[in-house]
This record gives sequence, C-alpha cells and structure tokens, in this order.
Amino acid sequence: MVILTRGAYARPGTSLDFKTGNWRSGEAPVHVHATAPCAASCPAGEDQQAWFARLQEGDAEGAWREVVRANPLPAVTGRVCPHPCETACNRAALDAPLAIHNVERWLGDEAIRQGWTYPVSAPAADAPEVAIVGAGPAGLSAAYHCVRQGLRAAIYEAAPEAGGLLRAAIPQTRLPRDVLDAEIARLLDLPGITLNLRARLGRDVTLDELERDHAAVLLAPGCQANKAWSIDGAVPVDLHEGLNLLKEFVDHGQLPEARRVIVHGGGNTAMDLCRAMKRAGAEQVTLVSASGLPGPETDPSDVINVVPRELEEALEEGIEILDHTTINRLILRGSRVTGVEVMSLRKLRGEDGRAHRVGFEGTERVLPVDMVIPCIGEEVAPEGLGALIDHGYLRPRDPAGRLTQERVFALGDARGDHGTVAAAIGDGLRAVRALVAELEGAPASPDGDRVGIAPDQLNLSYYDHSARVAAPKLRVEARTFETEIEGDIGRAAAMAEAQRCLSCGNCLACDNCWTFCPDNAVIKTVELARDGSHYLFDLDYCKGCGLCAQECPTGYIRMQS
Amino acid sequence: MLEAIEGSQAIARAVAMCRPDVVAAYPITPQTHIVEALSRLVAEGEMHTEFVSVESEFSAASVVLGAAATGARAYTATASQGVLLMAEVLFNISGMRVPLVMTVANRAVSAPLSIWNDHSDSMAVRDCGWIQLHCADNQEAVDTTIQAFRISQETELPVMVCMDGFVLTHTLEPIEMPDQTDIDGWLPPLEFDRRLDPSDPKSLGTLVSPDFFAEVRHSHHAAMIRALDVIETVDDDWHAMTGRRGGGLVEVAGDPEAKIGILAMGSTFGTLETGMEHAGAQAGRARLIKLRAFRPFPAAALRAACAGLEHLIVIDRAISPGLGGVVGTEVAAVLAGAPDAPRIHNHALGLGGRDIPETIYADLMTAVADPDGPAFSVFDADLTKLDPEDR
Amino acid sequence: MAEHDPRGERLDELRRKFGREPLPPGADQKELTPREAQPRFRGLESGHRACQGCGEALAARLVTECAGPDVMIANATGCLEVFTTAWPQSSWRVPWMHSLFENAGAIASGMEAAMKAKGKNTKVLAFGGDGGTYDIGFQALSGMLERYHNVLYVCYDNEAYMNTGIQRSSSTPHAATTTTSPAGKERMGKRHLKKDLLAIVAAHHIPYAAAASVAYPADLQRKVRYAMGIEGPTFLVIHSPCPLGWRHDSALTIEVARRGVECGLFPLVEIERGAVTNVMPIRKVRPVTDYLELQGRFSHLMTPDDARAEEERAHLQALADHNIQTFGLRGDTPDAGDTQASSSVGRGGHPAGRV
Repeated sequence: MVILTRGAYARPGTSLDFKTGNWRSGEAPVHVHATAPCAASCPAGEDQQAWFARLQEGDAEGAWREVVRANPLPAVTGRVCPHPCETACNRAALDAPLAIHNVERWLGDEAIRQGWTYPVSAPAADAPEVAIVGAGPAGLSAAYHCVRQGLRAAIYEAAPEAGGLLRAAIPQTRLPRDVLDAEIARLLDLPGITLNLRARLGRDVTLDELERDHAAVLLAPGCQANKAWSIDGAVPVDLHEGLNLLKEFVDHGQLPEARRVIVHGGGNTAMDLCRAMKRAGAEQVTLVSASGLPGPETDPSDVINVVPRELEEALEEGIEILDHTTINRLILRGSRVTGVEVMSLRKLRGEDGRAHRVGFEGTERVLPVDMVIPCIGEEVAPEGLGALIDHGYLRPRDPAGRLTQERVFALGDARGDHGTVAAAIGDGLRAVRALVAELEGAPASPDGDRVGIAPDQLNLSYYDHSARVAAPKLRVEARTFETEIEGDIGRAAAMAEAQRCLSCGNCLACDNCWTFCPDNAVIKTVELARDGSHYLFDLDYCKGCGLCAQECPTGYIRMQS
Repeated sequence: MLEAIEGSQAIARAVAMCRPDVVAAYPITPQTHIVEALSRLVAEGEMHTEFVSVESEFSAASVVLGAAATGARAYTATASQGVLLMAEVLFNISGMRVPLVMTVANRAVSAPLSIWNDHSDSMAVRDCGWIQLHCADNQEAVDTTIQAFRISQETELPVMVCMDGFVLTHTLEPIEMPDQTDIDGWLPPLEFDRRLDPSDPKSLGTLVSPDFFAEVRHSHHAAMIRALDVIETVDDDWHAMTGRRGGGLVEVAGDPEAKIGILAMGSTFGTLETGMEHAGAQAGRARLIKLRAFRPFPAAALRAACAGLEHLIVIDRAISPGLGGVVGTEVAAVLAGAPDAPRIHNHALGLGGRDIPETIYADLMTAVADPDGPAFSVFDADLTKLDPEDR
Repeated sequence: MAEHDPRGERLDELRRKFGREPLPPGADQKELTPREAQPRFRGLESGHRACQGCGEALAARLVTECAGPDVMIANATGCLEVFTTAWPQSSWRVPWMHSLFENAGAIASGMEAAMKAKGKNTKVLAFGGDGGTYDIGFQALSGMLERYHNVLYVCYDNEAYMNTGIQRSSSTPHAATTTTSPAGKERMGKRHLKKDLLAIVAAHHIPYAAAASVAYPADLQRKVRYAMGIEGPTFLVIHSPCPLGWRHDSALTIEVARRGVECGLFPLVEIERGAVTNVMPIRKVRPVTDYLELQGRFSHLMTPDDARAEEERAHLQALADHNIQTFGLRGDTPDAGDTQASSSVGRGGHPAGRV
C-alpha cells in the first residue's frame, strides 16, 4: 500500500520502479560484430581492424600477435601484398584509406627488431604429422598453422632454400633478403616443423609415400612451368620467358642486353621484369597488356593485376605501358624479332553473356623492338602430380583446398584461382583449419561473414579528417638493383596511422551509446562485456528510440526485433 | 516597555526578531513601509538576512518558497494587487506544505484603482490553503507575526498575517516590543524535515494522479483543522511569556449577556469597541466578537461565542458581488441548524478606504432593530450618488 | 567527468554539511550493481516517462551528471518536470523542486539566497523549457540575472510548447508549423522570428551566457563545468530536438541537432560580460535544407515548385547566413573546437571529453 507523503514529495531515483522498457514496441539495440571490409577482403585471413585496435591502445606487440593469428610473415606481405584491404577500406569515403600495408610492414619489421616470438607452444611428440609440399608462402603458412593447431609438419622443398617464389622471383628492391630470411627463420625455428630441402616430388619422394606416412598432404608446389607462348606459331629463337628471366636475375643478377624491350603480360612478374630491364640499361621498355590501367575508363574487373604502388613507381621510372593492347604479329628477320604489330582491344560482353576480348581492326601499328618477353603466367609443373592436374592447375573442390583424394589439399598459386602471396598464406590457414576439424571429426567451422560493413552503415560524423601517412621512397635516380625502394614509416607514424582506423563494425569504446541514451539504458561495464563491447543494454528501460544505433560510429549497434 | 511606533516599523522589528534567513518583497502601498524598514535594518547590520529585492510580487512569493524549501526561515509581505499576483504561488506553497510567513497590509483591489484599506485582497485568496490571521491593532499584529513563525513551523502550513493598510500599517501606537532573548528562547530553530538537501535528495512539487489527489487535499484540510489547536496553544504559550494574548481564534468583548452581537475582523473591531463606549446607553450594549482566525475557520469557537444571541451583525470588509459578504455567509453557515441560531445581519462597510466612524456602532444597532432590514447591504453606500439605473 | 563515489567520503561530507550523520561503517559494503557502479553521477535516473529519443531528457541528464551531486534544482513546469516526477516516483538524485511554469528563476533565487544565508556553497540550478524561459518565465529570469544570484539557469530549447501539445513559443523558428502556427492556404507556419534570448540574457552583463547542443555533449558539458565554476548568474540554452514536436524519427535526434548547428541556424556561441568570447566554428557549412528536410514541422517548405516554400527556404537560409556572418562561424581551417573536432571520437572515448 502506497502511503502519501506530506506535500507529495518523492524519493530519489524511485523511477527505477517504472520499467519504461515496456514502451518498446518494435526493435531493441543489439551489438553486432560485423566484419570490417579490410578483414573481409584480406586473402590471408587477417583481421586488420583487430590489430589496429591493439595499436590504438599503444600495444604494438599485441597488434603483431593479432596479425600472426593468420599471417606468420607480415614483414613480407607488408612489402609485396597488393593490399585489397586498403582498396576496401571505408576510410576512403571520408578522406583516404588507411596505409594498412605500411603499418603491417612496420609491425613485421618491429617484430624482427624486437625478437618477438610467435605465441605458439610445441605440438606433442606423437601429434599427427602433416606432409607439406613446397616451402613457399603457402607451404610455410601451412606448416605454421599446423603447429598452432598442435600438429607436426614435414616440409618437402625441391629447392636448396625455403621461400619459394618470395626468394626466387621477387627483386630485392621490393623484398630485401634479410627481412625474408628473418621471417622464414623464425617460422622454421618453431618446434614440430621439419624441413626437407632438395626433396622434389616425383623424384625424391612420391605422393603415395607422403599419403601413406602422414595424416594429410598439403600440396603447395607453386607454378613452375611457363605457359606456352607463341604468336600464330612464331617463336623467336632467343625467346626469354618472363619468370625464368626474373628468377635468373634475382638469383644471379644477370639480364640479357637489349635496347628496346617489349614485355607482354599484366602481372607483378611482368612489372618487376620491366623495371629490372630498364634499370639494366634498356632504352625503352614497354609493357603490352590486354588489361587496362586503373581509372574511370577501365572496368574494375579488367584492371591490370599489379600492386598500385609498383605501377606508380614503374611509371616514375619511365616504363611505357600500352594498356588494352595485344600483340598481333611478330616481325622477324630470320628468327630474330625486329618488331611487333600491336592492336587495341577491349573486354566486352558477348551475345553468350560472357566477357570476351575483342580486337579492333584498323588500330594495328608496328613497334620496333629487339626483344619480346612473354609474361603471360605459369602453371603447375606436372612432375609427381600426374592425374591431379586439371588444365594446368590443382583445382580444388572447396575453398579449403580439398582435392578429390582424401586429406590431400592444394594451396597457393598451384590452385590456379588466385595468385598473391597473401592468398597463399591464407590458403595455409584455411586448409589447416579444415584439416583439423576433419581430424577431430568436428563440422568445418563456417567461414566468417566475408562481406565487409559498408560506409553507409557507419556514422562518419564522428571521425575527424586525418591525412594518410606517406611512406618515404627512393628517388628514381637513386634506385638500384639492391636497395629497397620504399622505406619504413617508423613507429610514430604507424601509431598515428592506427588512430585513423574507423573500427568498422566493432566497438571502439567511444562512449557514444552511453553518452547519448536519453534513458540511461546503456550501462558501461568496467570489464569487457560478454559480446566484447564495454556496454550493456538495460532493456528494462530501453524505449527503443534507436539513437544509440544511429550514433554508433562503427555500425556495431543494430536495431533488431 | 511601551514604545510609540508606527505599525510597519513594529512589524519589521518583530520579523527581525524571528531571524529569518531570507526575506523577499516587492513594494506596494500600503506594505511599503514594512519593506523599507526591513531594508534599513539589513543595511544597518541590525538584521542578518538575505534580503532579496525582487522584480514582482510573483517572484517575492517564489523566492521565499524556494528559500523555505531548503529549510530556511523565510518571510514576505504584500498587499492588494500583490496578493493577487502571488495567488498562483500561494496555492503552490501551501500545497507543498512549506512553512512560511507573509504579512498582508490589506487593501482594496483594482479596478477602480484604490490604494486604501479593505479586505478584498485576502478574501480573494481565502481558498489558497494558508492560515489567515487578522489583527485588530498593532500590538496584536506584532504578537501575531512572531506567533505566525511558530504556528507555521509546527503545522507545516504557511501563515498570512493580515493587518489593515494605513489604518494599522501607518499608524503610530504605543506598543510593547518583545525582548530579543525571549524570542530566541520561545521560537525554536526551523527543522523542516522535507527540505531540499543533497545528502538526502527529495523531489518536491510532483505530479499527482487522480488516485491520490483527493488524499492530498484531505490531508491539507485536516492539517488546517488541527491548526486550530496549534493557534490556541501558541497563543497560550505567548501569553505565558508576555502576559498578552494575540487573540486566539475568536475573542469576545462588550456585554456577554447581550442579545445582539457584532462580529468583525481587523481594526474595525477597535472602532466598534470605542464606538460602543462613546455611544451611550441609548444605543445599547452589544456582544463584540473578534474573528482572528479566518482560516482555519473556527466553527466551534464561533458557536460558543454566539451562544444566546438573537441577532448577529457580521461586518465584511469586502464583497463577493452577487452573493454578499463572505464572512457573513460563512458565519451563517456555521451557525445554521443550531436551535437558537441568531438572525444574521450581514453588512459590508469601509470598502476601498471609506472611513468607518465610531458612530457606525450606533447606526448598526439602529439598523438591527428594523425587522425588514436586508440580509445583506453595503451599509455605508450612499445610493444617491448613483445613477438610478445603477442603484 | 568526475568519478562518482556513491557511498564514499563525499557523501559523508555532504551529510555532515546538511546536518545529517555520516552513514555508519558497513553501510557502504554492499555489492554494487553494474548500474550503481556507473563511472558517472546518475543525477537523472532511468524510468522517466520522456518520449523515445527525447532531446530534453538527454540534455538534462548530461547537465545533471556533470553538475551534481552538490546541487539543487528549481524546475519550471514542462515536459521535463512532468516526465521525471510522477508521484510517488522521481528520476532525480539531486534535491529538486518544481513550483510553477513562470517562476523557476525566482525559485532558484530563493534557494540561492537561502544557501548564502546558511553559508553553504551548494550550487543552485534552474531548469526550464523555452516556454518557461523565453516566454512566461522571462521576467523571473531577468530578475534573477539582474540580482546576480549564483545560479546556473539552463534552458532546454525545443522550440515550442511541447508539454501542452506543440504550440508555438517565441523560440519557435520562423516558418515552423505548430498547432498554433499551422501551415495553410494563407500561412506558411510561424510568421515571426525566433527570439534572440541569448543576446537579451547577455545584455544583463552576466559573467557567462552560452548556447550548446545535445549533438555536442562534450562541448555541452564543458560549458556546464565552466558555468559551475563561476560565482554569479550564468545561462545556458541547449538546443534539444523533440521528435514528436519536430516530427522526425526518434533515432535522428542527434543528427537533427547536429545539422541545426552545421547549417548555422543554431549558433553555438559563448558570451562573457556581453562580449562574444568563443564560437564553435562550422568545419563544413551545410545548406539549411539539410536541416529542414529531416523534420515534419518544415515539410511544407519542401514542396517542389511552390514559390512560397522557396521564399521561406531562402529566408531561413538568409537567417542562417546572417548568423554565420555575425558570429564568424565559418571554420575554414580545422580547429580543435570546431564542429568536426568537437564530435570526433577515438578508442576509449571522446578526446575532447577527456580534456
């Protein structure tokens, strides 16, 4: 029985008895950890947003540990990755995307400088052992993730050194050897990994043996065979195939002499080669590519597949690029090439609904050259793999890389469906994750939401303009065969760049929901709440106005029925 | 010790003796001298109070309410239009049961404009829920003012002390001013338990639903009825200290055996007393009844005071147009039903400062003898001054 | 934001100051709920009856949490009063009194006089809506300012009489519709201009008068703290959108308020002793239509091909431009106190809030 107070005064805070949450007719706020677009687009499976969060807290080692949950080689990818994360970064809608690549590189280098070690414990001596063919980025990543998951790994590498393409075909100007060596050494030092060098599949070991002796076989042989190249059956006598040429250059520092060179192709190998030839003294180096340069004229699916930074540097160095162009005819004197006829073309949708490259009659022109280098791609060398090869590649039947044989997976370039170091590293993660689930008899954990949260789901009012860090770069004149062209941004810039991260889809602990709730229905927690945020919704009082969701900068709060 | 002192000065000194924390007021004739006197006391350092010179009576009432709500002793004074401008706040103060004292220097209410005395102002707010005490002379006004602070504290009801404008406020009379140390002992510190206090933060002035509003009003009424005893006890206590009475609820003078009674509030009572003395035997002697407590209305005390009367003349110093006299009507209501209830002769007089001569006594006594006399009249109105259409 | 210590020394100190015994030892041993453990003072508690997305409820909470607990509040009649104190419940955790519509300034004056008389330094706050401040309580406010009471008066400006159902006040902007300034064949909403109350208040030569917006809580609370530190009358008018009266989605309260500032119609200025001493520069000035288009009260101005609507839009734009010019609101270069910097957040909170 309520007894009237004299003069009808009320006691403090007694309105808590009145549960205004009953007014909520429709939706209530919930925390939804959406995938950040950087993470959604990362072929290596990194969650950049998570490690930027650690950096924002000033914890560089913590950030590095977040990176190496997926990617054991950040100093490498921080140099060679085409960083689709930056292309996807929502910050572009505000000013410029984060320099994720440069910060990753700094973190990777800092780990080497500081001697940080992977947060991994040794697998049990009787843990199942997985055979891994190839010690390139895919194989190394697979071995690393095996150890993380408590498995042992035996790597079989045909070459005398681990590293694969990283070592064989990426110039020092992009990836200094000491960095590569340091990251690979740290990885191979992990307990539970045995590395068998000069062990070539089909010669020194067979797939059957590997299958017999190991819990699983992960095939990451890379693409060692050049695709056959000819123009209407004509092949110059002094044909140099791109990847081989690049490997020779990287290995011995030697390049053939030529005055006017045409490189035919559109990938990083082609670009590396162009620049190496130019630096070696060629007067004119022209890249002929069927794809287009990035820009409004070019459909995004038809853009030349080169790291944007590399493209920019190549243009600085005087490389000519003929895009949307193909070679029609070789002009030979005897069996030596003296010129090429090129022709404009475009990728157009045909009547069958598929895109075809269509050449345009009347655009033919002849370029005088003394060397043509095809760089149109490579495929899997068939040795030891036999029947597994399907049209040049080990084409897996699921994203984890499973082939038709039990517990045999294909990883990296050999899959033929992607061609970056980051993807190769990601393959290692995905394959091992799937394998472990299979070994444990657990259902394969579904791949996370791979669609990143869009900028219109954020509230960009809460982010101030902030300039993107610019990495130092060698002047064109100072560029050599040995020195790395792009420099380190340094700790201060890396930390400052981290502050630019919008934290898309994840709680920033910015207090906006707590500050703006007119009903005090957002409770701030001292320790992390169960959903990883710092706040609870007290639905006893939430009237469902939606202010918190509207004003959440990161899109972490959604209104749901 | 008796001092010859103007009513307003005496009130100011009485208020000062009660050591209010906050005084707020806005000047209006005929209250002005009280405010000025208080200002002077503050200026001379004889009174330590926060004196707030507000920009209106509305704010005066609001300021003292705000102050009193924090547990401060607060005081204001006004008259006439000022009372009406305060009206909304007056209801608010009593509804919240906040103790507070206000002097009303009674004056007519415009229009037409009149700065002179009658009771239209306090009558207009008779239902505002305040205790309303009417003083017959300046000694009573001084005593009542001091008593009012104690009554207010004990009842948690605001008290309006009414004194006739000019007639009392501007008149020099010999007055026995109490001793400060006596007052300090007699008037305990204000302990307002519902005060605004950050260490126990209550909310005052809430919204009350129909489920409880009737109970709020009932309890207010019950408190007013209980205040009848408090008014008498406090007066007894005052008497014990000073030897004087402030007038209790109702006071009776004249001939206790008389069959004719005259009831009045305020200074008119003194005029009637003198008038009776001077009128001689021919006019006859009446029982004079002084109504000091108009709110709460002392029904029982009135019935006792009127016992045995055949005729009761009730003087109103205001008019409720279309009804007549408010006091007359209320007294009639209280006495109605009694087997020997006197016949009520209700007269309004002295409106808007019209002089009430001593001879009014004899005139009233003559009028009461007329069996066909009206139940209500504006007694001293000269109808020849009116256009026939307006009579 | 000061750490609130609900049962600690501060409370004991307050209790002693107001003549009450400190709590006995052990009374503070109970386990705090997450709500009780909030690292801010909960001056205005949950369970109040404000509408969804109420700007005024938010503004009052922001003010109280950084002003309290050693305050007392005089609250004018209005939504805030009604929705916080339906007996027997109250949402307040500070001493609070509602008297009437038009006397908050005077009630506060009385409280302050009493505090002065008793030698206490509890700060007195007065709360009112625009009706109770711009209109009916204007005189009491002026008197309070002139008499130099040590009171912070906060006006929650939602630009109409919302408690009685959206009638126009002298704060309603030109051309806005209310139930007493509807748009029709002959009229385009309110015919008169919004009263420049801040200028009038500042003309009292008081130490501090400022405008704030719920869209910029850190700035708002900075202004409250600044005013709290001043001995004398101070005034804060807070732009507080009313979803019901302005007819916008309840989730857009902050967005509407933000646009109101960014278009120049509600300039956030600070005036000390009559002189403008600070303004919040607008980093990127928006057209007034960005503000108008979110609100139903201006929907009649958005009719296409309507010459009258176009004229009124142009009029409002001119008023905004006038404000921008008068106060120099255009922030051409980034400034730590401009609209953008004032609302930017980082991991772990609002940088400006941690100053």
